[in-house]
Amino acid sequence: MKCESCNVREATIHITKGSGLDKSEKFLCEQCANASFESDFSYPDDSFNIHQLLKSLSQQQSMHQQQGKQKECETCGSTIDTIVKNGKFGCPDCYTTFDRQVPEIIARVQAHQTEHIGKVPKKSRSQIKVKKQIETLKMKLSELIESQEFEEAAVIRDEIRELEKAGGMDGAE
Amino acid sequence: MAQNNVSPWIENAAEAPVEMSARIRLARNIRHIPFPHMVRDGDALDEVLEKLGAAFDEYQKVSMNMLKFEDKALLVEKHLISPLFTRQGLHSYINEEESVSIMVNEEDHIRIQTMGAGIPIQDLYREAEAIDESLEDVVDYAFDENFGYLTACPTNVGTGMRASIMLHLPALTLGRKIERLSGNLNRFGFTLRGIYGEGSVPLGQIYQLSNQLTLGQTEEEIIQNLDELKSQIIEEELEMRSRLQSEHLLEVKDSVHRSYGILKHAYKMSLKEAAKCLSDVKLGIDLGVLEQKNFKFQKWIQLIQPAFLKMRLNEQHKHYTSLEQAVDEERATLMRELSGGK
Ligand SMILES: [Zn+2]
Ligand SMILES: [Zn+2]
Repeated sequence: MKCESCNVREATIHITKGSGLDKSEKFLCEQCANASFESDFSYPDDSFNIHQLLKSLSQQQSMHQQQGKQKECETCGSTIDTIVKNGKFGCPDCYTTFDRQVPEIIARVQAHQTEHIGKVPKKSRSQIKVKKQIETLKMKLSELIESQEFEEAAVIRDEIRELEKAGGMDGAE
Repeated sequence: MAQNNVSPWIENAAEAPVEMSARIRLARNIRHIPFPHMVRDGDALDEVLEKLGAAFDEYQKVSMNMLKFEDKALLVEKHLISPLFTRQGLHSYINEEESVSIMVNEEDHIRIQTMGAGIPIQDLYREAEAIDESLEDVVDYAFDENFGYLTACPTNVGTGMRASIMLHLPALTLGRKIERLSGNLNRFGFTLRGIYGEGSVPLGQIYQLSNQLTLGQTEEEIIQNLDELKSQIIEEELEMRSRLQSEHLLEVKDSVHRSYGILKHAYKMSLKEAAKCLSDVKLGIDLGVLEQKNFKFQKWIQLIQPAFLKMRLNEQHKHYTSLEQAVDEERATLMRELSGGK
């Protein structure tokens, strides 16, 4: 017997849904049977706000198309089109590739929240710390230059160079 | 894994009125690797998987391509994997208690999930966080200073955390208060919905309260808010129950004992009917109108699910043209056994 859903593979699984008058029976292949789980178990993680997302994405998209050719993510090949189609980004780098649209999309699905204030991975913690240190030193450096304390300034400049080298500032953030 | 029994943590879960189990889920991804729905073969994750395997060698590794449909269905019913995972998942790492599951290649590269009952949800978060930190040592997470943990779906971005608590709300369901309640919760960025199926009255009158937003709040704040909302809902449910008891005691007693009678004496039972009866009996016990020692709501509500029952059927029944009938019969048999009927 062929699978009633795809009509291609052999049916190996018997599935029933509902009860009484709503009852339906199906003979399915393994793939199609797996797909049928989705309707039986609401797994509350999965489906939040996807429609809202798609709506905001297509609005963004029409804006984008007016600006010319479709941008493509170098890591995964996604365009705004495929992201709309999937309702998902293609890879973590999409967040930077589509940096014009991302804040708007996130704001919409996250009730206008735009900034993460929660946990930070250990590795990023030290990188963020180094970045802040460098910023502080750079401010100090320009103050020293302004007040013409060049000897002191040279020391600070070397410190900054050292931090930039050791901190691995390779665009990890 | 003890195939045809509930998870040890459910077996040992304490029974409380209203509050059931809780769950923490963290979504994590690896830098520069396409999300699971974009990858056909999972090649890009191979190296990552190797490292993960080593990090979790004390966990049981369950590979989706090694499992039959029925085994996957059982894991879904145990909430150890998701329906999506049965199709595109690679491996899940599961601890002995079956309270921790780390899914590789669900919607995100990694999903860490911890479950428990009768323990503070803060503790479940700490458990998930510890796993998260040990993973950090072996993989590079995709993290953005502004947007936090980057996820396939922007509805998870930021903390990547979904915290949820299951609640048994028969009185609020009966009083038709759920809709108003969930509307109010939505405004705080939380949702309340049935755990099984999409019907207006969810199976067993069991709901899941969870955070909808993952950005703009710390993990601790989300959990604290969730806990406060949970207490409010429990209070409302208990208030509704005492009204039920003082104004409709006869009706309550009648329906509780009728359902108990069905559990004890029926010879075939649909999932819907069994779940309703269990819910009624649980309410009756909580209200003190029925005494039933050893009644385990959380355990029994899992045991009546189809995959669990199919495990109890013998081989010959599995190919029975009307499997549904055999399952309904087995469900009634099990309920008679458990509730001390004949
Ligand atoms: Zn098929
Ligand atoms: Zn991409």
